[in-house]
Amino acid sequence: MDWTLWLELVIKALVLIFALLGGFAYLTWYERRLLARFQSRLGPNRAGPFGLLQPIADAVKLIFKEELTPAKAYKLVFFLAPIMTLVPSVIIAAVIPWGPPFQLGDRIVTQSIADINVGVLFLMSIASIAVYGIVLAGWSSNNKYAMLGGLRSAAQMISYELTLGLAFVVAILLGNSMNLTDIVEAQRDGRWFVLVQPVGALILWIATLAEVNRHPFDMPEAEQELTAGYHTEYSGMKFALFFMAEYQKMIVVSAILATLFFGGYLGPWVDRWPLLGPVYMFLKIVILLFIMIWVRATWPRIRYDRLMAFGWKVLLPLALAVVMITAVGILLAEINPWMIWLIPIFSLIAGAFASLMIDRSLRRKAYA
Amino acid sequence: MATTVSTKSVDLSTIFPDAVIADERKGYTGWLVEKDNLIEIATYVREELDYDLLSSVTGVDYLPEEKMEVVYQVYKTTGGPGLFFKVQIPREDPMEIPSVINIWPGADLQEREIWDLYGIKFPGHPDLRRILTWEGFEGHPMRKDWQEPFYEEETKPFKSRWPKGEHIHAEEINPYHDNLKFPPKFNPENWTPTDPEEALYTSLKKFTTKNEDGLEAEQIIVNMGPQHPSTHGVFRAVVVLDGEKVVSLKPVMGYLHRNHEKIGERNTYLHNMPYTDRLDYFNSMANNWAYALAVEKLMGIEVTERSEYIRVIMSELTRIQNHLVWVGIFLNDLGAVVTPLLYAFEERELILDIFEEVSGARMMCNYYRFGGVVRDMPVRAFEKLKQLVYDRLPGKIEEFERLLSENEILLSRVKGIGYLSAKDAIATSMTGPMLRASGVPYDIRRAEPYGIYDRFDFDVVTRPECDLYARYHVRIEEMHQSLRILEQAVSTIPEGPILPKKPVYQVRVPAGEAYGRIESPKGELGFYVISNGKPNPWRYHVRAPSFINITALEKMCVGEKIADFVAILGAIDIVLGELDR
Repeated sequence: MDWTLWLELVIKALVLIFALLGGFAYLTWYERRLLARFQSRLGPNRAGPFGLLQPIADAVKLIFKEELTPAKAYKLVFFLAPIMTLVPSVIIAAVIPWGPPFQLGDRIVTQSIADINVGVLFLMSIASIAVYGIVLAGWSSNNKYAMLGGLRSAAQMISYELTLGLAFVVAILLGNSMNLTDIVEAQRDGRWFVLVQPVGALILWIATLAEVNRHPFDMPEAEQELTAGYHTEYSGMKFALFFMAEYQKMIVVSAILATLFFGGYLGPWVDRWPLLGPVYMFLKIVILLFIMIWVRATWPRIRYDRLMAFGWKVLLPLALAVVMITAVGILLAEINPWMIWLIPIFSLIAGAFASLMIDRSLRRKAYA
Repeated sequence: MATTVSTKSVDLSTIFPDAVIADERKGYTGWLVEKDNLIEIATYVREELDYDLLSSVTGVDYLPEEKMEVVYQVYKTTGGPGLFFKVQIPREDPMEIPSVINIWPGADLQEREIWDLYGIKFPGHPDLRRILTWEGFEGHPMRKDWQEPFYEEETKPFKSRWPKGEHIHAEEINPYHDNLKFPPKFNPENWTPTDPEEALYTSLKKFTTKNEDGLEAEQIIVNMGPQHPSTHGVFRAVVVLDGEKVVSLKPVMGYLHRNHEKIGERNTYLHNMPYTDRLDYFNSMANNWAYALAVEKLMGIEVTERSEYIRVIMSELTRIQNHLVWVGIFLNDLGAVVTPLLYAFEERELILDIFEEVSGARMMCNYYRFGGVVRDMPVRAFEKLKQLVYDRLPGKIEEFERLLSENEILLSRVKGIGYLSAKDAIATSMTGPMLRASGVPYDIRRAEPYGIYDRFDFDVVTRPECDLYARYHVRIEEMHQSLRILEQAVSTIPEGPILPKKPVYQVRVPAGEAYGRIESPKGELGFYVISNGKPNPWRYHVRAPSFINITALEKMCVGEKIADFVAILGAIDIVLGELDR
């Protein structure tokens, strides 16, 4: 390894980390402004033009805020939990390809930090780690609300991880690779996987909502029930770390969703100017985030037991069915390429059937 | 209007000649019942005479006569005038009156309140603890001989604090410690707040169930409140949880207690009007009316025609804004961030604009006076009102329905949750939308019309489902009915005087008792006022719907999930200013 490789990696890592941190800050602004528009308000518009300095003001406030540690908390774990939540949300972004490789001098620069061949597996494993921070935060706070929040999140994340994995499998099958760059490249010529497998994309989207504890699956921090859930006892910068982790996860899962199903960095003229790749990614992420915020602004929260029932009884079987349909469709496509379009037809039928099931499962009263 | 409710339609004294005599004090109605026969007579009233709704139980301290009285006001859910009966006991401790909780379970919290404030014990009550004050409180503050710290005088207006042109602080006349009483052996320095809570937690323990499948499972006690985002203020519910399931629950209240009734007894009659605003601060227009109604009954005065219309208009407007905000807050309780709430607030602001133009205040309106309202409605406000009633509100309420009523998640959160059967709802003295959502068509505007409600055409909204879904729909539909009333009132309001005679600060109220009750947006709001002919009420009792509707909270919540508890509590529509008084 020569020193330029090190330099390249360091620069790319720094750019990514700063982009994520800045993205987090401005995602809070974006969300607050959008929520405000949905709620016929104006939102933060005092600090700087359009309130653009608001995140900085918030950061200053949080840094100077007193940090309280409950007397009976498990101090070490209480201290480590926010860090354990934040770190996975950053490193998960390492494998995402932000654009096609480009020539710089005499070397080829890839636009991802680590273009590993089991990228999807890496995503899965890191996504699973994130739950530890939340559970430990809930447990170490020695607070009943926090503990309930932590327990909820453990159960919820584990349940939806299966669905998440199966949705990944769909993309793997379609892309015929576990490497994220290969998956993106397989979606060239407008053959985005969301067109081939719309239900798979929807499942992945729902599962990621649950995975990052976003509305309407924000059980662990259900304000109306558990005050603030697992981070009830956190204040100041420790709280900000949880906040940061949540919003970075939002960005990252949107990036994953864009990569796996929405053509990743692909777009017009991206081959001529490879640096357009990050721009397309950015636009796709912003649109996906917009949908997340839209959902938050309009829907009530699903009740916890129904969330579990929904995950296990509707989403998981549907994901299995979709995987099977995809696999069979790919086999059939070898006979006749047009057979690939049987996949969306059959998966939409399966999806419609599942939404009937949702209707029934949501309205059922008791789940023991 | 302003006819005294006749309770003589049922002659209890001929049925129980030995135990009942008619209450023949001047201005009083009802029956005086012997303490020993109370249960027998109450059972008869409940079972044979079908007075199924215990509206209010309250104590009265007749210090000069050395008597303590407990007043029971019962009504039929099929409508008609009520039946008042009273139990008098000598005013010396220990005072005991058998509890009627087995006949009317709705007496639960009210008897606890009487024990707390008057010190009358109710043998037979399963959980007779203090309710509004805390367990370590010394004395019973509603007794006439109880004096608060900084006590100045028995009644307002107080003597001048500038008698010699120099200000005297109240605490200089009456140093703080002189009037602060503690229970015996109580030292505030060494006190830890665990002891008084023990009674509460013990009362919960008897509800805990053993796990039968042999697995050791621990139930946890979670305090929802007093500082909790979903308890609508400083309400606290101690919840025993088995996993996410509510096993048992006890409401704890009084964090906002200010002894409103004692303040009311120190005040003059007109003084009390702005104080009623602070009870249910969403609906000051309704509160004013209930109080004015009670005092008007006592005074025997007529309300002017135009004022009657203005009263109906204001009361229905306040109902619409209350229900709108309720829908918003309920959705908020279900986790819909605050979008519906802000949509509701947008409409509410327009209604408050009208309140502001007529009364000068948006929330604390203080608008009604005995015999009318304080000032006429300005022309501009009337134009705004017409625009709201005819153009804006109907569409907006429909928009609410369209946006929310079919939402899958909402339906899954409300259908079949918080079941309360009609029988239980009546037994626990639920009133208002809560009762109507259990399928009981009981609306005081119809059951015992006050004001000029008998002239308007509207439906009493009921739903048969008895769950949150029904409570949601009853309120939505009631807004439509309120609009119907408003349209009729706006188109037929006559010109004329606002008050029957020149307004005075000191009204003359003849001795007697009166119970004025209205259909407030939250339920039956009643004011029980006793006058002894002096400028201040001898007894001023608020029958608060928020307070009494809490009685059924445990019944509705047990077996549901913790998330449902929040929704069920939200559906009762409590306001802590009224609950804690």
